[in-house]
Amino acid sequence: MKALILAAGEGLRCRPLTLARSKVMLPVANKPILEYIIRALAQNDIKEIILVVGYKKERIMDYFRDGIDFGVNISYVNQEAQLGTAHAINLAEPMVNEKFIVLNGDNLIDEGTIAELIKGASGDVTLLTVMREQTTGYGVVLLEKGKISKIVEKPRDKISHLVNTGIYMFSPAIFGEIDNTPISETGEYAITDTIQRIIEQGVSVTNITSRGTWIDAIHSWDLLKANSVVLGKIEEMKKRGVIEKGAVIIGDVAIGYNSAIRSGSYIVGPVVIGKNCNIGPNTTILPSTAIGDNCSISSFTEIENSIIMNDVRIGAGSYISNSIIGSNNSIGPHFIAEVGKDLKIEMKGILHSADELGTVIGDNNQIGPCVLVRAGKMIAMGCAVDSGVRVTKDIPKDSRVL
Amino acid sequence: MCGIVGYVGTRQATPILIDALKRLEYRGYDSAGLAILTGIEISVCKTEGKISNLESKLPQIKGTCGIGHTRWATQGAPTTINAHPHVSGNIAVVHNGIIENYQELYEWLKEEGYEFVSETDTEVLAHLAHRYYKGDLVKAVIESLKKVKGSYAAAYLCSDSKTVVAARKESPLVAAVGKGENFIASDVTALLKNSRDVIYMQDFEVVCLTEEGMQFFDFNGDPIQKKIESIEWNIEAAEKSGYPHFMLKEIHEQVTSVHDTLLGRISELSGEVILDEVTLSNNEIRDLDRIVIIACGTSYNAGLLGKYLFESMAGIHTDVEISSEFRYANPVLSGSTLVIAISQSGETADTIAATREAKTYGCHTLAITNVVGTTLSREVQNIVYTRAGPEIGVAATKTFTSQLIALYLLSIYFARKRKKMDVDRSKRLLVSMKQLPGMIQQILNNKDLIKKQAIRFSKARDYFFLGRSLNFPIALEGALKLKEISYIHAEGYAAGELKHGPLALISKETPVLALATRSSTYDKMVNNIKEVKARSAQVIAIACMDDTEIEKYVDAVIRVPIADELLYPVLSSIVVQLLAYNSADALGCAIDKPRNLAKSVTVE
Repeated sequence: MKALILAAGEGLRCRPLTLARSKVMLPVANKPILEYIIRALAQNDIKEIILVVGYKKERIMDYFRDGIDFGVNISYVNQEAQLGTAHAINLAEPMVNEKFIVLNGDNLIDEGTIAELIKGASGDVTLLTVMREQTTGYGVVLLEKGKISKIVEKPRDKISHLVNTGIYMFSPAIFGEIDNTPISETGEYAITDTIQRIIEQGVSVTNITSRGTWIDAIHSWDLLKANSVVLGKIEEMKKRGVIEKGAVIIGDVAIGYNSAIRSGSYIVGPVVIGKNCNIGPNTTILPSTAIGDNCSISSFTEIENSIIMNDVRIGAGSYISNSIIGSNNSIGPHFIAEVGKDLKIEMKGILHSADELGTVIGDNNQIGPCVLVRAGKMIAMGCAVDSGVRVTKDIPKDSRVL
Repeated sequence: MCGIVGYVGTRQATPILIDALKRLEYRGYDSAGLAILTGIEISVCKTEGKISNLESKLPQIKGTCGIGHTRWATQGAPTTINAHPHVSGNIAVVHNGIIENYQELYEWLKEEGYEFVSETDTEVLAHLAHRYYKGDLVKAVIESLKKVKGSYAAAYLCSDSKTVVAARKESPLVAAVGKGENFIASDVTALLKNSRDVIYMQDFEVVCLTEEGMQFFDFNGDPIQKKIESIEWNIEAAEKSGYPHFMLKEIHEQVTSVHDTLLGRISELSGEVILDEVTLSNNEIRDLDRIVIIACGTSYNAGLLGKYLFESMAGIHTDVEISSEFRYANPVLSGSTLVIAISQSGETADTIAATREAKTYGCHTLAITNVVGTTLSREVQNIVYTRAGPEIGVAATKTFTSQLIALYLLSIYFARKRKKMDVDRSKRLLVSMKQLPGMIQQILNNKDLIKKQAIRFSKARDYFFLGRSLNFPIALEGALKLKEISYIHAEGYAAGELKHGPLALISKETPVLALATRSSTYDKMVNNIKEVKARSAQVIAIACMDDTEIEKYVDAVIRVPIADELLYPVLSSIVVQLLAYNSADALGCAIDKPRNLAKSVTVE
């Protein structure tokens, strides 16, 4: 059986992190979300994987290559224009001639989720659903006599707790139906519209409700929750590199090849630290933190419940909590990310809520000494922030803040 | 360069040989052929042009033992008749290398009554083996090769027995062990699909392959023991993973390859460089009075940057020589000279010969190379591996930047040992180097902007690349990249040299790429830009992110992140590579296999 993974979109709501890579490549416990999906498929013996790519596809291709490192064989299909999920699936038609699985590349799942779908699927179309108390922002399904009667995208009222995960098992008959699907009001060909048409034709469409992992990080800050869940589940944490005398490590901590934990540092797991990092001396890292490859964290800095991507330098005496720092940032000493609760964050005129958040910083920024970022404020990409600045509003791409 | 392959086993030999030959395509070739043992006869099929040509011409040949060849014409035109294998009676031969005493052997064999059908030097190998063959192919090969002067990796097939015999001198050859089958090839990549257990052959060694196993001999015919080495590369790493060309894939891989070259070699707290494979003692490093860098092509351009680095940081007088010139230039060398040979493949014939020449003067030797276990690495006392991974595109990209990184590391290493650089300076430089992978990613994020400029000027007939001091080698490399893959005529110049000639060629149709990153020569560079602008040339500048001055003088600016001044050559390299790639792509050129060129040049 083949699997088709949709990985062509940007994931706008995860900006500024997605300015340099698409959402499927955002790291959770130091691995891109897409890697969890590919590994879950491989564990279910699905080794033929088709990736539909588009936005920043090189980042995906550079990481996964031909799939050999992940025990699978990957073919790439390029979706030039973002014309919706049905259009993306249709691109794979020449490569599929039996039942196949379709997944979104930006949802975290595990092997159990896939196993449930394979075990329970029947007929031409099977949807994987999950029960959720909160369904805001999701598509839900309505059931009638055990069969799906309707798919409703992002309903205003609570009409169902069954959320559509966007994971499907299709027979090749779906391609004929996709060809007959009209374009939606938003200018896209949606696979949910195709399925709705199939239901209306009286064909039975079934669902399986999964108890496995399915985490959809809608906003960038939802990654922190996903990171903490995944870190808590990792069973084997390997310590490579050098741990100097006088460094204290408590709980599950993974340390990558050639990284050094200097004397006086205090690390409480679950924490993962990548390759070639320098931590300390006298640095505190608290749960649930992931630090990428090639990072330097200087003395007297404290980091807690955060994601630090690759090639980041953080100066001495800084405090970072509940925050996400993108790749290739250089942050001066005494940087403070203030943490706030129940924040309302405005993006493109719409208010989103965050339970608890410090800051989210995109890639390639130069941040001077003694910068303070107010809770929930973000720095986009390629910015230079001078010393002593108090960041009280979001800073757009390529800005210079004096 | 020519590629040879051979197979003995239980499976059909033709598809295995064709597949292996396809994996040698990157070496460059203009004709191909194979010979299969079919019972008691040898069946030969060969043709000019691509391997797909050969495949379409292939009759149904059944047989489980054979040899194959891709030919890159050196002596004799690329025609079907000149293609290998060459046959004499019951013996067929494929060969990579050059027979220097060809004329002498040709005349002798003619007197002996042999008829020559091709214009190649290889045909003498076939007749020679036939001349000495008395029922034992190994003996015939040894006897005949004792007569030969020159270089060879050659494989022989004889209709009397199901064996392949191969020998080497100065051309690459590896053998690989399978289950009930055995292989030989010019390059490991041709064999990885079938076996990961390989044996590197050395000069004047002969191997005899049978289904059951392989035996090695020296030129006295005495058996020798060889070590099996395990290869860790994935064959898939040698495939394109979604990219239209290997070159583009390899340009993008530089984020990782630069990181890998640096991995474990810098200590940013103490400002020290760690180079395990360098065995020179502190005293020997202190006593060095001269460095001679020998290299060809792209590696030579890397060497020119090396000269700047060794002189400015470590205070060691450095010369850079083209390998093929160095050998015949009666070099002045002594025991306090370090000769650094730079070769991606470690099999570049001219560089290896020049290294051997240098050893005869008692110099210290060091190699900067990408491939482990090659001829070059066995010739030298010290090695810095670039660890860039396999590179398939003929135009070197990631191996060039990794060579630059290796040279930075080595010069800081020497500078610290010689106390020419204080720890503060080396710490700052090393920290900036550690940030290079992230900065390269930043340039790749802006690839569309570079593509736009490449397309804009892709119709140009001539291109100029200008740089000063440490940007000058990158001007040369940029011009080399552009001409080798897009066939646009390009020249790299030291910007100060313009007035001494090339300025005459500048017109409003000539794009000029100016390397204008921050450096002590920045103001001079801006003056040079004004000079060419005054002749109405189109100027594209590579400049720093924070340079607000430059856009006043040029037609387009491509920006690179702010780094330590010494490191801009690495960042500018990525830009000129993308510029060359996109120009060639816009013109529809065969980017991974440019005409007339070969990946590793194993003939002199």
